[in-house]
Amino acid sequence: MSRITIDPITRLEGHGKIEIFLDKEGNVENAYLQIPELRGFEQFSVGRPAEEMPRITNRICGVCPEAHHMAGTKALDALFDIEPAPVVKKIREMFYNSFYCTDHTVHFYALGGPDFVIGPDGPPAERNVLGVIHKVGLEIGGQVIACRKRNHEVIQWLGGRGVHPVAGLPGGWSVAVTEEMRQKIEAIAKENVAFALFSLKLFEDVVLANKAYVDLILSDAYAHRTYYMGTVDENNHLNFYDGMIRVTDPEGKEFVKYEAKDYMKHVAEHVEPWSYLKFPYLKNIGWKGFTDGMDSGVYCATPLSRLNAADGMATPKAQEFFEKFYETLGSKKVKGRYQPVHARLATHWARLVELLYAAERMLELATDPEITDPHVRPIVTNTPTEGVGCVEAPRGTLTHHYKTDEKGILTRVNLIVGTTNNNAPIAMSIKKAAQGLIKKGVEVTEPILNMIEMAFRNYDPCMSCATHSLPGQMPLEVTIRDADGEVIEVVSQFVQ
Amino acid sequence: MKTLIVGLGNPILTDDGVGVKVAYAVEEALRRNPFSDRKRVSKDDLTITEASVGGLRLMEMMIGYDRVILIDAIMRHNGHKPGDIFRLSTHDLREISLTQHNASAHDTTLATALEVAERMGQPLPKEVIIFAVEVEEIFVFSDEPTPAVAAAIPKVAKMVLEEIFKT
Repeated sequence: MSRITIDPITRLEGHGKIEIFLDKEGNVENAYLQIPELRGFEQFSVGRPAEEMPRITNRICGVCPEAHHMAGTKALDALFDIEPAPVVKKIREMFYNSFYCTDHTVHFYALGGPDFVIGPDGPPAERNVLGVIHKVGLEIGGQVIACRKRNHEVIQWLGGRGVHPVAGLPGGWSVAVTEEMRQKIEAIAKENVAFALFSLKLFEDVVLANKAYVDLILSDAYAHRTYYMGTVDENNHLNFYDGMIRVTDPEGKEFVKYEAKDYMKHVAEHVEPWSYLKFPYLKNIGWKGFTDGMDSGVYCATPLSRLNAADGMATPKAQEFFEKFYETLGSKKVKGRYQPVHARLATHWARLVELLYAAERMLELATDPEITDPHVRPIVTNTPTEGVGCVEAPRGTLTHHYKTDEKGILTRVNLIVGTTNNNAPIAMSIKKAAQGLIKKGVEVTEPILNMIEMAFRNYDPCMSCATHSLPGQMPLEVTIRDADGEVIEVVSQFVQ
Repeated sequence: MKTLIVGLGNPILTDDGVGVKVAYAVEEALRRNPFSDRKRVSKDDLTITEASVGGLRLMEMMIGYDRVILIDAIMRHNGHKPGDIFRLSTHDLREISLTQHNASAHDTTLATALEVAERMGQPLPKEVIIFAVEVEEIFVFSDEPTPAVAAAIPKVAKMVLEEIFKT
């Protein structure tokens, strides 16, 4: 069997490699994403006081510390069996939506954007955030930086620290919102709404107006008919902070809706001998391999999945764009629900719809009369036993599960991080793209590698989940081996 | 001179957090040895912090400072031993970072991020100095670095202190 490896050549932040195995004919037989395992997190945590977890787990990942902090804090609510006051929930949700405004912005403009703004087969020297700024203009680049800066300020005010928040307490939040702070946050949220609307307009002008891009988005090479997971409120509208976990089937019908604490009844993890990764799947359907369709337990948890799993958006402008999203991509309404969009590249657009929702929801909360209630720190009196906390991380449903002794010392810890939900779909997407692009006699070039990379980039995979050693990059190198394992060609994505 | 010192890395991933530990050592040394006879930097001018971020978010932290000193882990795999210390510039960083594209799946390189800020006309530090320590283990959760890396911490802290007060 021949083997192609897309492999980083040095140890780097969040490195992974793509391995593509060819059959004797020279066609793609299998493709895997390999990520090194970070070991010993449970051992590290066991024996520590549970209330340290929101501060420890936000160190797991340098990309979304806020998501781990929030899931950890909610797990403490459950562990100490204390229902947060409405003001606590509102401050947390406002903080969390501000974080979404930073995270979704950077993905669209710096990471996913280059493929569309510059073009998937554009010169690699330009296909990056600098190229995007060159193309869309300095003023827009300035707006991106300003959006992140103002929301990082909100995160610092409300989270107690700029990068790794510390404000989460069991049943509480250590920072109350003053009227002065509220006014500033309201102004920032309004700017966020305007920026999100602008970004959606930019997407229409640059991507949707270009038929080649729309064809690419809707092409079969980037489609999988899987189940979809997302968190919904009592009206089955999307919520990032809290709600029930809802799973819809590939035809758009609700498959199950459950409370976060019951996740083990619904999700199981498959292991493969070739990977450290676990592949979560729907327990009540079963693991049928890396395949899609109604009979396969593979599900997906991404911005696209959250839209597919919800009936709509809880804020008015985001709802308008939600409808436009489905109408434009050819989805029909069946029994009042849009049928799911299976085109994975549409995730980039879904992410912008979510950006608008995050901005609108932040504004709603900033103008909520209750938000300045100072009673944010309750006294904990219950003996802890076990708790599950769940939020929608930008990259998927994030679950923290802690067990402790009666003194609150951790005895068990289990986490399912956002990207992990998508391990199977990512593997499937890479394989499908590789099968479509690498065929006997076709030269493997940089644009082809990039098209394969695009298949997993739309998931916004967070493989770093911790390390930041210099130089912090993910170059790709493909080694093509013949049937005897001899290197016959090396293709590199490097720009010299 | 407004100076920012950032210890980078994950403090609970064995050697990855060496930069964070150096930053704490620098802070502690300054606490014991106040600023009285120092000329170039006053206490108010100096910010010492830690962060487990890279690329864009790190660049955003640097805006508005005259000088930034970063301390981070590095793994170069080309004959260097754990605990080896490198003093690098952003130019060196670009030499190491061969590609501008996709620093990680969710970030750009620092060199690219700084270039973005420069084009945006953001007030960037005139001096960026990077101290990097060659590391051994970054895949296992632990708050204790390996011996060779632990031994480098006081050495790097001393180098950072000299850098701060260099005239």
